[in-house]
Amino acid sequence: MASEQISFCLNGQVVVLPPTTSAASSLLDWLRGPAGLRGTKEGCAEGDCGACTVALEEPDGARVPINACLTLLGQMHGRAIRTVEGLRDAAGGPHPVARILAEHDGTQCGFCTPGIVMSAWAAVTGDGDPHEALAGNLCRCTGYRPIVAAMAAMPREVATPAPVPASTAACFHAPGQAFHLPRGLHALLSLRAAHPDAWLLAGGTDLGLRVSEHRERPPEVICLLAVPELQALHIDAHGIRIGAAVPYHRLLAALRGLDDPIAAPFARLLARLGSAQIRGLGTLGGNLGTASPIGDMLPPLVALGAEVTIASLCATRRMAVEAFLTGYRTNALAPDEVVTEVIIPRAGPGDVVAMEKLSRRHDQDITAVGLSAWLRVVEGRIRAARVALGGVGPRVLRATAAEHVLMGAPWSLETVRAAARMLDRDIAPLDDLRGSGAWRRAAAAGLLERVWWRATRPDVEPMEAL
Amino acid sequence: MSENTLAQAPVHLRQGSSIGQPLTRRDGVLKVTGGAVYAADNHPPGLLHAVLAVSTIARGRVAALDLAAARAHPGVVEVMTPGHKPALAQDPDEKAGPFAFRLDLLQDDRVRYANQSIAVVIAETIEAATEGAALLAPRYEVEPARMDLHDAESFFPAVVGAGTPAAEHHGDVDAGMAAAAVRVEATYDTSAQYHNAMEPHAIVAVWDGDKLRLDTPSQGMAMAQARIAGLFGIPPENIHIRSPFLGGGFGSKGMISGPQVLGIMAAKLVGRPVKLVLRREQMYGPVGHRAPTRQTLRLGADAGGALTAIGHHTKTASSSFDDFFEPASGASHSLYASPAIATSHEGVRLDTGTPLFMRAPGEATGSIALESAIDEMADACGMDPLTFRLKNYAEVEPISGKPFSSKALRQCYEQGAARFGWASRPLAPRMMRDAAGMLVGWGMGTATFPALMFQAKARATLRRDGTGLMEIGAHDMGQGAWTALAQIAADGLGLDIDQVEFRSGTSDLPDGGIAGGSAHTATAGMAVHGAGADVIARLAELATGDERSPLFGAGNAGVVARGGRLSRRDDEARGESYADILDRAGLAGIEGSGGSAANPVAQSAYAMHAHGAVFAEVKVDPDLGQIRVTRLVGAFAAGTIINPRMVRSQYYGGMIWGLSFALLEKAVTDRRSGRIMNADLGEYHVPVNADVPSVEAILVEERDAHVNALGIKGVGEIGITGTAGAIANAVWHATGRRVRQFPITLDRLID
Ligand SMILES: Cc1cc2nc3c(=O)[nH]c(=O)nc-3n(C[C@H](O)[C@H](O)[C@H](O)COP(=O)(O)OP(=O)(O)OC[C@H]3O[C@@H](n4cnc5c(N)ncnc54)[C@H](O)[C@@H]3O)c2cc1C
Ligand code: FES
Ligand code: FES
Repeated sequence: MASEQISFCLNGQVVVLPPTTSAASSLLDWLRGPAGLRGTKEGCAEGDCGACTVALEEPDGARVPINACLTLLGQMHGRAIRTVEGLRDAAGGPHPVARILAEHDGTQCGFCTPGIVMSAWAAVTGDGDPHEALAGNLCRCTGYRPIVAAMAAMPREVATPAPVPASTAACFHAPGQAFHLPRGLHALLSLRAAHPDAWLLAGGTDLGLRVSEHRERPPEVICLLAVPELQALHIDAHGIRIGAAVPYHRLLAALRGLDDPIAAPFARLLARLGSAQIRGLGTLGGNLGTASPIGDMLPPLVALGAEVTIASLCATRRMAVEAFLTGYRTNALAPDEVVTEVIIPRAGPGDVVAMEKLSRRHDQDITAVGLSAWLRVVEGRIRAARVALGGVGPRVLRATAAEHVLMGAPWSLETVRAAARMLDRDIAPLDDLRGSGAWRRAAAAGLLERVWWRATRPDVEPMEAL
Repeated sequence: MSENTLAQAPVHLRQGSSIGQPLTRRDGVLKVTGGAVYAADNHPPGLLHAVLAVSTIARGRVAALDLAAARAHPGVVEVMTPGHKPALAQDPDEKAGPFAFRLDLLQDDRVRYANQSIAVVIAETIEAATEGAALLAPRYEVEPARMDLHDAESFFPAVVGAGTPAAEHHGDVDAGMAAAAVRVEATYDTSAQYHNAMEPHAIVAVWDGDKLRLDTPSQGMAMAQARIAGLFGIPPENIHIRSPFLGGGFGSKGMISGPQVLGIMAAKLVGRPVKLVLRREQMYGPVGHRAPTRQTLRLGADAGGALTAIGHHTKTASSSFDDFFEPASGASHSLYASPAIATSHEGVRLDTGTPLFMRAPGEATGSIALESAIDEMADACGMDPLTFRLKNYAEVEPISGKPFSSKALRQCYEQGAARFGWASRPLAPRMMRDAAGMLVGWGMGTATFPALMFQAKARATLRRDGTGLMEIGAHDMGQGAWTALAQIAADGLGLDIDQVEFRSGTSDLPDGGIAGGSAHTATAGMAVHGAGADVIARLAELATGDERSPLFGAGNAGVVARGGRLSRRDDEARGESYADILDRAGLAGIEGSGGSAANPVAQSAYAMHAHGAVFAEVKVDPDLGQIRVTRLVGAFAAGTIINPRMVRSQYYGGMIWGLSFALLEKAVTDRRSGRIMNADLGEYHVPVNADVPSVEAILVEERDAHVNALGIKGVGEIGITGTAGAIANAVWHATGRRVRQFPITLDRLID
């Protein structure tokens, strides 16, 4: 493939970057450097603060907030981006979203403000919860309440999709670096076979940190975002098939429209993965690729008995997620393989499904203990049970001793409590920054008991954090 | 309409219509459109980027740096090291003044804390500079780090905080304890905290001969000028600082920090403009923090619940090479009446950066311990915590016996309690549950912060076109100086605010004093007010001495300035506009100046504090130990309120800092390496939106005739105090467990 120039739509104008631009530099560095757009701020360079929030304008009219500090330029090829400088009303004055934030005194020092404006601008196209929209924006000054009040006062908007430059498969070369953006599965797998050491980049919310925080310069990158096969999302009676590079925000929207016992707990958990910005780019494929013991999506996938499809040029295979996760941050992928999709079986109408996450801070915090459970209850008895835990060992694991207690027992609080006591045999959590091992044991038991309360008292919303 | 009379009318009569108005932030639109320019947004032509290499050990020496690799990296222009740096006119370890903290400016190869600067790489791009810094691959001679407050050898510092005596007392605490019917003795631990303003410290430095232009966030430009002038051996007026907006400071931008000075040195070394921006993790060391404390409280009370003794001892840490001791025990000086009070401090030295003023230094830290102990005492006496506090209400400042210049704390208690619904609180803990089975608890705390005044100057001009200009090198770190000081300026000039041009935020303007100690509005505001009065007096002199003026012969005492006109006090129909007076005198404008300083007479006669009462509701999951603050109500009295919107915003922010203190903030150090393990915003937790409950701040009316002529006390820091304790007390009330280690974490609430 010949080298091409990165091109995207920025604030409504198509821009073409010079040929030697490094596709692996961060969007934030480019905006604040060569582009001279310094309204977007840098507060942390690692996705934690949201000061760098900009929004993708998608062809379907969605506005998707993302962290510019984690986004690599090559990922933006063929996309449309809006920054705070690009928000104006028809007369060229401040956009209503910005004006209303100012009127409600939603700023003090103002450093977080451009990011908050972009999160709010992305949110006004939907009827979503302002709290969910704000989860990825830290403000050290205001205490947030005036911002939430301002967001409640913002008029809803219908987004007009931005013009995006036509783009085909591309490869961007910079000194010492090649960034591939294949546009089909076969092309992807060929590249993978040719470059088994290349970074396989999906949303980059894990990998982008290595660029923005550690300033690594990968010599070879293969980006998955433009491969249509990896962007498919298909739901039918047999299962939910999720392309490995489908961003979380699309999965969340799909779950919210789905009638299945899985849908509500899964959506609730997903809404607490990172932040709206992290969900703007992050993917299931990335969570599986990182294979962290506290990857939020992993306990549910294991508990639900989900499978992954793995492809290479030579073969395609399917395996259970449980088997795919081999150890601390390791998985079963061979160097020439790529995860192409995740298949989650549909639950039955009477199934009990719960997915819990305990973290110190409610939002923007990784899991201290995660627990997901799937129980098939038939005529008052538990006929099948799968319980998976994260944050209690080197990898996400099944609680087999607890499952053994559940299996065949009556569906009752006593049974659940007995199973919770057995968790002690399943897990051996360590002490760390987020809590002692002893507390984690107690918390895991508490979370298993919560499965009962979720099923029997759905009216009561338990606390999620702190 | 606004007015400023020259008669000695009471302060509140002199206040015109701008003061007290809930104007929206005047710089709000600039901020929401991304147009507000912060230091790192400046990009002068020819700019190079500097990146710090920082130490990964806490104590020892840098044995080797791979300078060749860094220098050879494409784009790298220079590597500044102890052996290769511009000469300084002053030793950075010299104590040039009380607030001249020792800086790490590559003076030698010693490492005194983790994240200390050990080299600076200067390159054409930020990427090249960062990569160059990584190539330095330092090797160290490591010495064991001293990281534990309780392992190190302790001593008694003479002064703490900004120079207050480390030990004070009145009465005999031991006797008071012996005589007490009820005693509480308890130890409270607070953690090291980092300011974490959202804007990292940044500097853009441009040398022009021996003149220096700086874009850098500063809470005290004149102090920064003086410090930089000393270090580089140039006159302070050669240094031009622009700091129109700070992305938060909270004390960490009060003194110029080592990394900022390194940016200036880098620019000098390469002879080109240089930008240096700290990475988030580099803010955990060289720019200050709040030191950890262990506080021991000894309270005695008689059978009726009247305090007989308060003893408050704080053990805290400074760095190995400089002195700043968190003055936590001072919180016990002014809040509760007691015949005997003794406060003291003990220090140790740790291998950390030097601690510094952090929002409500001393008061925040001391108040969470004191308010917890008071709550424990109320419980021990079987009394409601509010009743107990009212029983021990201080009518005069307990430690000094001085009357308060004003104190509407009783009203704060009343209004806050009423709004919160405190009266229905069960006395015993663990009595309330919500529908989900969560334990519910209510707690309260008293808030206090001293009303301070520093020194400032301002310059006022009335122009022939009828407009006014007010100039002051003040600092807006988010508290709203651009708005509140402009309001004071408008009234001072007798003009509508739209007729006043307000210039601020640069060091070539009259020194606006420091933005710290919650004293900036009072200090800079009084200078602005004085400058207004001065220029009006000069204008009046022109008019009353001129036969052609309708004001001729009116005499100063008989003139009112309002709405751009001077008129006779006894007959306001007789007057003329500023423009007419200047026009006739053939003047383009007329200038006046003002200054402010604390009034030593009033200060020796009165104790000056703002007060407040905070009420908190928390819910605790009995199985998981999760804590959630669900409601906060604060009622505060802080003298004259210049702008209720800005003030409410300060209270909200302060109260959230209180929440953060009680439940979230804690730097965790690895005891062996001395490194901070959570030096980022992902693991060092500050509240996210979802952590924040419904918050209400009540502005309790208070007039103060003594603090300053405008009656202004500070509002920036008081919100933390009281809140942190209220939340801790609510956790106890919910669970029956008294956690004395802050932040309170979930693992302390279940076994
Ligand atoms: C601020 C912040 C907050 C976060 N919060 C959470 C959280 O709450 N919960 C949580 O679980 N995670 C969290 N994360 C981590 C991250 O967002 C998730 O792990 C996410 O799922 C990663 O997806 P990605 O597409 O961005 O992965 P990438 O960074 O693109 O890739 C991650 C890894 O997976 C590999 N990979 C990606 N796709 C494939 C594929 N199709 N086949 C094979 N390998 C692949 C990559 O090669 C790489 O090794 C957070 C990250 C940040 C920066
Ligand atoms: S700069 Fe903090 S999230 Fe990007
Ligand atoms: S206004 Fe200062 S960080 Fe939000």
